[in-house]
Amino acid sequence: MTADGIALLVILLGVLSAFAFVLRLLVRSLKLGKPEDRFDRWGERIWSVIVYVGAQARVLTQLAGLGHFIIFYGFVFISLGTFEHIGGMISPGFSYASIFGAKIAGMISWVQDVLGLLVLGAIIVSLFRRFVLKPLRLQIDDPKAKKEAVFILCLIFVLILLMFGMKGAGILMDPPKVDRAYAPVSAVVAGLIDGKADPHILERVFAWIHHVIIFYFLIFIPFSKHIHILGAVPNIFFRNLGPGGTLSRMDFEDESAEKFGNSEVRDFTWKQLLDLYACTECGRCQAVCPAYLTEKPLSPFRVIHMMRGHFVGDRQKLLEGGEEAEATPIIGKTVTEDEIWACTTCGACMQECPPFIEHVQKIVDMRRYLVMTESSFPHEMQPVFRNMEVNYNPWSMGFSTRADWAEGLDVPVAAEKQEFDVLFWVGCSGSFDTSGQSVARAMVEILKRAEVDFAILGVEEMCCGETARRMGNEYLAQTLIEANIENLNKYRFNRILTTCPHGFNTFSVEYPQFGYEKTVVHHSQFLLELAAAGKLAGTGNGSKGVYHDSCYLGRYNGIIDEPRELIKRSGAGELAEFGRRGKRSFCCGAGGGRMWMEETIGKRINEERVDEALALGVDTIYTACPFCMTMFEDGLKARDKEEEVKVKDIAEIF
Amino acid sequence: MKIIVLLKRVPDSEAKILINKEGTGIREDGVKFVINTYDEYAIEEGLLMKEKVGGDSKVTVVCMGPDEATEAIRTALAMGADDAVHIADDSLSNPGPFTTATIMAKAIGDEEFDIIFCGKQAIDDDMAQVHCILAEMLDIPQVSVAIAFELSDDTTKATVSRRIEGGDEKIDTSLPVIVSCDKGLNDPRYASLPGIMKAKKKEIRKKSLADLGFSEIPGGGRSRILKWLPLPKGGECRMVEAEETPDAVRELVRLLREEAKVI
Ligand SMILES: Cc1cc2nc3c(=O)[nH]c(=O)nc-3n(C[C@H](O)[C@H](O)[C@H](O)COP(=O)(O)OP(=O)(O)OC[C@H]3O[C@@H](n4cnc5c(N)ncnc54)[C@H](O)[C@@H]3O)c2cc1C
Ligand code: SF4
Ligand code: SF4
Repeated sequence: MTADGIALLVILLGVLSAFAFVLRLLVRSLKLGKPEDRFDRWGERIWSVIVYVGAQARVLTQLAGLGHFIIFYGFVFISLGTFEHIGGMISPGFSYASIFGAKIAGMISWVQDVLGLLVLGAIIVSLFRRFVLKPLRLQIDDPKAKKEAVFILCLIFVLILLMFGMKGAGILMDPPKVDRAYAPVSAVVAGLIDGKADPHILERVFAWIHHVIIFYFLIFIPFSKHIHILGAVPNIFFRNLGPGGTLSRMDFEDESAEKFGNSEVRDFTWKQLLDLYACTECGRCQAVCPAYLTEKPLSPFRVIHMMRGHFVGDRQKLLEGGEEAEATPIIGKTVTEDEIWACTTCGACMQECPPFIEHVQKIVDMRRYLVMTESSFPHEMQPVFRNMEVNYNPWSMGFSTRADWAEGLDVPVAAEKQEFDVLFWVGCSGSFDTSGQSVARAMVEILKRAEVDFAILGVEEMCCGETARRMGNEYLAQTLIEANIENLNKYRFNRILTTCPHGFNTFSVEYPQFGYEKTVVHHSQFLLELAAAGKLAGTGNGSKGVYHDSCYLGRYNGIIDEPRELIKRSGAGELAEFGRRGKRSFCCGAGGGRMWMEETIGKRINEERVDEALALGVDTIYTACPFCMTMFEDGLKARDKEEEVKVKDIAEIF
Repeated sequence: MKIIVLLKRVPDSEAKILINKEGTGIREDGVKFVINTYDEYAIEEGLLMKEKVGGDSKVTVVCMGPDEATEAIRTALAMGADDAVHIADDSLSNPGPFTTATIMAKAIGDEEFDIIFCGKQAIDDDMAQVHCILAEMLDIPQVSVAIAFELSDDTTKATVSRRIEGGDEKIDTSLPVIVSCDKGLNDPRYASLPGIMKAKKKEIRKKSLADLGFSEIPGGGRSRILKWLPLPKGGECRMVEAEETPDAVRELVRLLREEAKVI
């Protein structure tokens, strides 16, 4: 072993043990979190890693992702080279050529060269984006974040140059260490440095600088945003494989508990903490967030970024102090209450996030703390909670008037019928809101015409609890859910039919958490069934419309084609499309209980969406959600367009 | 500082109120009962004073009402009140304000107190008398319809503001005092979940009339509710429309004279 081989080995061992120490710290820090079961469905988890790490499927949904793809694979292949080179320095004679043969080693070398060049290009484009184009998604009000990103890009750039230098010098060495035929780019570099200095010395100098940078990187990574190199892969492995639109069920058994919901690091689960290590700071979540795009204080990117900083700052103290250690509160400085309340729970952020970070649960967990432990929330929410508690609906309407909308329509009531095929869940909006009521009436008319065997719960129906749950009032939500389950269990029927995607989602994926499982259909699916069976005929109105995908229908539940198909069958005229549609639709602004909160900061989300619709020159906006409907109606009024553009639910076009 | 808060359980303001067949009260089916709105301000003010003074300060809720009123009492305890006295007796139904005040005076007389907060009126029968009668019976000063309450630093006096036509009236009072509370005094808090959990274990001292030393309903005979009557069905409204106001007036007069035959 040569002298520098020994030196390298010593340094390498030092670096590796430091790295192991840091890895251990990371794993221990995750154990500060609460337990969460993500150890099922191993096959699917491994497949996730293949698709989303290996093939970078989500990264590549945007052109800029190509840069990441190149840098990612460039790094993989260059690391192979680094490994070979370090091995060779420590144990002379070690090389891929001696293990795999010249052909395979040559191919690795060739790929390194080509990818190296592409990486240089990708970094230049990245820096150009950061400094010149400044896309919205990369904006963050933490100057450190940007500096760090630029620093790392520059470091990788230098590493690639050094690699070419090493390989170029290697070509010139006697005997050549690198085969010119398999190193097209390095060969050019060799031409440039030929005769300038002794290639043997040059190769060593480049190699040392290169390896020291790599070692530095190894230690630096866990303390930078590039921790995502370590965090993202396990995060994708442990990702949520279940439906996206569920929130965790809280347990209220412990009556002596002093705290509910999350306010500090240890309140989150290990997986939620792993999320923080996985963020790549790509900002894709921010670029689609309705709150961020309308100048609200919330950016999902910022929330994750700030929480990671908080976690990193607090973890040492918590690890050393044990259970007694006092944690720094997250709510307040790290994440403000305004941010927490600005979220519509639309899920757009989670749809985009390449390492599958789950933002909504974290935000709701903090809402839970604010509502249930601190009783601190926007003042306009209090009457909403009260109304839900007393009258089982968010409006201040007496519960006994819940079925008043059906007066004179001769709507069958479950208590009288006992057994039927379809339970029509009218929902709060259908029961109390003027527009919602007209949808409910239209549905009843269709159900009767199609001779569907149905009934409503009438005054026994209570708010489904979805809104309370997303507003952080899990206790109230569970009270409502349990009361509803009790009432539903009194009758025999086959399916629940809802006109509200929020009810649809909560019955399909949240009620099962409470032991209630029933087939649920949204009216877009149900009406399409009727139409297919020839029981629903379109009248045709020749309008030019556009359909707006509700978050909880399209994004969370993948019901995207059904409503469109239905609109076509209704004989409507031209159907335009929003740019942001389907799984990538833009929230109307009502979700997550935002419907009940004031929206005083920035542009109103519903106006943003209405402007988008108006730009399409439509005369009808079709919705499949009563809350979207209200938001559009209000938005059109604000734009003074309520006469020219009509909002119609898909039940109102037959 | 010992604070008493009076709490009445009343039908929710959104409830559909229907008079029962006998005319002795309302139909309770389909009616949700809640804490009287103004009493929520009383509870909140009591809690604020307790928090301000600290030490062994205590808020005791006093409520007269049926067994079901426990739910309303628990809500007040969940907000932070320390304990409660619940006067429940099957023989009591729709007692008049004098009866209520007489019983309350007895119950409160058994407790220590520096301030009594109550609502300015109960939103069901809208009497606004209980606290006035109570003040007389306990022989303490009373300030009604408070929109601000300020305790002196030595906790021996208070300054209470009331909103009156055209301005605010500030009243200095000694303690003990009974203060009836109006909207605007504070923002009643939303009970936290630990509060709700703790409330389940707080003491509610249940008392019957006999426990308070009454052998029959006191104060009867002074005033008595004879009968509850539903509102007469509203007549039809007819709008008089005309281009010029004098024409409308002329038409109105004609209608009153010829059709309604009232002038
Ligand atoms: C000066 C004045 C002006 C008025 N002006 C008008 C007017 O312009 N227009 C109009 O329509 N009306 C008017 N009124 C009538 C008024 O609206 C009502 O008479 C009165 O405010 C209603 O209160 P109440 O007697 O039901 O309250 P009370 O029943 O006396 O209740 C007052 C408080 O006593 C406590 N309490 C009562 N019962 C119980 C119980 N069982 N257990 C525990 N605590 C209890 C509660 O804290 C309650 O909030 C006026 C009244 C007054 C005094
Ligand atoms: S759920 Fe929607 S509103 Fe909330 S942070 Fe994500 S993108 Fe923004
Ligand atoms: S949370 Fe996800 S989408 Fe948002 S910046 Fe981080 S990695 Fe990107």
